[in-house]
Amino acid sequence: MTSPESAIANETRPVRHVRPPSYNPLGALRAIGELPEYLDLFLTLCLHRASVRYKQSLLGVGWALLQPLLLMAVYVVIFSILVQMPSDGVPYPLFVFAGLLPWIYFSSAVTAATGCLVSHIQIVTKVYFPREILPLSYVIVGLIDFAMASCVLALMMIFYHVRVGMTVLGVIPVLAVETVFVAALSLVFSAIQVRFRDLGLAMPLLMQLWMFASPVVYPMGRVPARLLPWYELNPMAGILENFRRVVLLRQPLDYHLLWISLVISSVLLMASYAYFKLQEATMADVI
Amino acid sequence: MIDLKLDNVSKKYRIWQEEATHHAGLLRKIRRRLGGGNEFWALRGIDLEVKSGETLGIIGHNGSGKSTILKLLSRITAPTEGEITIRGRLAALLEVASGFHPELTGRENIFLSGTIIGMRRREIHASLDSIMDFAEMRPFIDLPVKRYSSGMFVRLGFSIAAHTQPDILLLDEVLAVGDVSFQRKCMDHIEQLKRKGLTMVFISHDLAAVERLCDRAVLLEKGQIVQEGAPAVLAGQYLTRIDRSEELGEQRESTGPLGLRGLEFLDIDGRSTLQFRTGYALRARVEYDAMIALPAVRFRMLFKGIDGSAQCEFLTGDAEMPAAAAGRGAVEFCCEEIGLQPGIYHVDVLAENEAGAVMDVKRRWAVIHVASGRFTHGAFYSPHSWKLEAAQEAAQGAGEMPRANG
Repeated sequence: MTSPESAIANETRPVRHVRPPSYNPLGALRAIGELPEYLDLFLTLCLHRASVRYKQSLLGVGWALLQPLLLMAVYVVIFSILVQMPSDGVPYPLFVFAGLLPWIYFSSAVTAATGCLVSHIQIVTKVYFPREILPLSYVIVGLIDFAMASCVLALMMIFYHVRVGMTVLGVIPVLAVETVFVAALSLVFSAIQVRFRDLGLAMPLLMQLWMFASPVVYPMGRVPARLLPWYELNPMAGILENFRRVVLLRQPLDYHLLWISLVISSVLLMASYAYFKLQEATMADVI
Repeated sequence: MIDLKLDNVSKKYRIWQEEATHHAGLLRKIRRRLGGGNEFWALRGIDLEVKSGETLGIIGHNGSGKSTILKLLSRITAPTEGEITIRGRLAALLEVASGFHPELTGRENIFLSGTIIGMRRREIHASLDSIMDFAEMRPFIDLPVKRYSSGMFVRLGFSIAAHTQPDILLLDEVLAVGDVSFQRKCMDHIEQLKRKGLTMVFISHDLAAVERLCDRAVLLEKGQIVQEGAPAVLAGQYLTRIDRSEELGEQRESTGPLGLRGLEFLDIDGRSTLQFRTGYALRARVEYDAMIALPAVRFRMLFKGIDGSAQCEFLTGDAEMPAAAAGRGAVEFCCEEIGLQPGIYHVDVLAENEAGAVMDVKRRWAVIHVASGRFTHGAFYSPHSWKLEAAQEAAQGAGEMPRANG
């Protein structure tokens, strides 16, 4: 804060200074302080995302379940009937469904968030609010869909007589780490998309490749040992592997893997938030 | 106490010429995207202060930087240089309806748009009835807004915005909202807010509204403040600047027997002015030089809107044309109650001979500004009188006097 507030201030009204943008991780912290003011907008947006999506669609909530179920069917045909894929001793349909849940949360939230600033152009150029609320609202929608699809997973586990242990509580830290990672990518991708629309076009391809670089349809145990140090740098590897361990295998968390994911995700989140706030300042000019 | 302060604020835009980069290599494309493009300073070194409770008007032509100031104040975009200080909650009464989601109902959109402009859900709940009533939308509130007419859209949008409780309000051409009676309602609402002591910034080229609302105004030209002062004085300045900045049409010296020399507009007391009001008097004096004595001359004065459409004409003698003696002379037009609606008008003056051939013409010779005066519905104001036919003896005398409406 510099000098000119001498004439101003001295009352309870908040005083705000708008300055030219600069890359400033500490400034990003100050921006977080502004977020609680917009909590109501965030809630309203999340509510409406859900209600808009299911309005005028026949299947409604069914869409949240259809995608993982159909993909599961495809992968079961390919990797269980055509090719014998090992699945850590769990029935393959269950194995792949448990991988698809966190994966779809990741891929659909990041894909939707990437285009969101551009698709809300008429709001972005007309009103101010902290722009990160838009991509972050898609993260919440992803979580809601995840919760609904989890019910199907529970039914499948009953069907296959897979018991649940106390280890299932490990889902909480796993999901927390994933949410940090999803938020980080949503922020940075949506900001890049404003300048370079190429990213949105590349998203389906990127997500496809990324899925095969993550243990979704195969167990991590099949990855050759010499590749593992690199393979583990993908935060999704640690997330997917740990999700299956605690839900299906009744094993404790693999802290080594989860730590890698957490550290990478958190560093990425901080960097991408600072980048986002830098871009936000002139977003309305270039969008 | 100062609510808004701009300290040496500048804003630079980059303009990319997409056609030019179309065939360029990928690397050059990326480089241009990141740093290149033509620079364009939309605002340069703006210093401005708005005191608590004051209403500041910002006027200027299109492209003068008005809307950039608005975008900076409402934090839609950041300045390139300088610092803006905002004390208190600021809301912009702009196109709120642009935030509407077509699939959601009116009610849902009230919450969405309301929270976008910074209201709490609690506040919205509390003023929901009042929002619906102000917009006159209660029966349609649970329909998806994609079924709304554009008028309904805009009314609901304004109504939401009108229910925010900011410390500082930004207004931008809001008066162009909906039909006449709703515009009136908006204006009343804004005046009410002003009386409550709200700090306001009003950006417009509707000079009449600026004069009516603002305590002080600044005139913006090419991204800089060129003048500051009382709104009425600035409105005049603005008009003469239009005059200078725009290409004047055929302004050749006349070679005919009669040349138009001077034009002056006067108010009812004979003072020179370019400001008039709908339904009040206007006088115009045209000076000419006649080489020879002319048996018949017709002077025509044509008022044209900013789009060039002819709006109204004054004429000397239609059937019987006056004669003009050789030498300097003047013709004076006088209209007791002008019908021109509020706005800006260019004035053309023509002199014709008895055959209807043009002897001299001055196109866009002056620009006048008509502010709102007597309010009427419809396309134009028409002078009229009225008389009340009351029961016999009580109204004697009073009933005989024609009265102007107002």
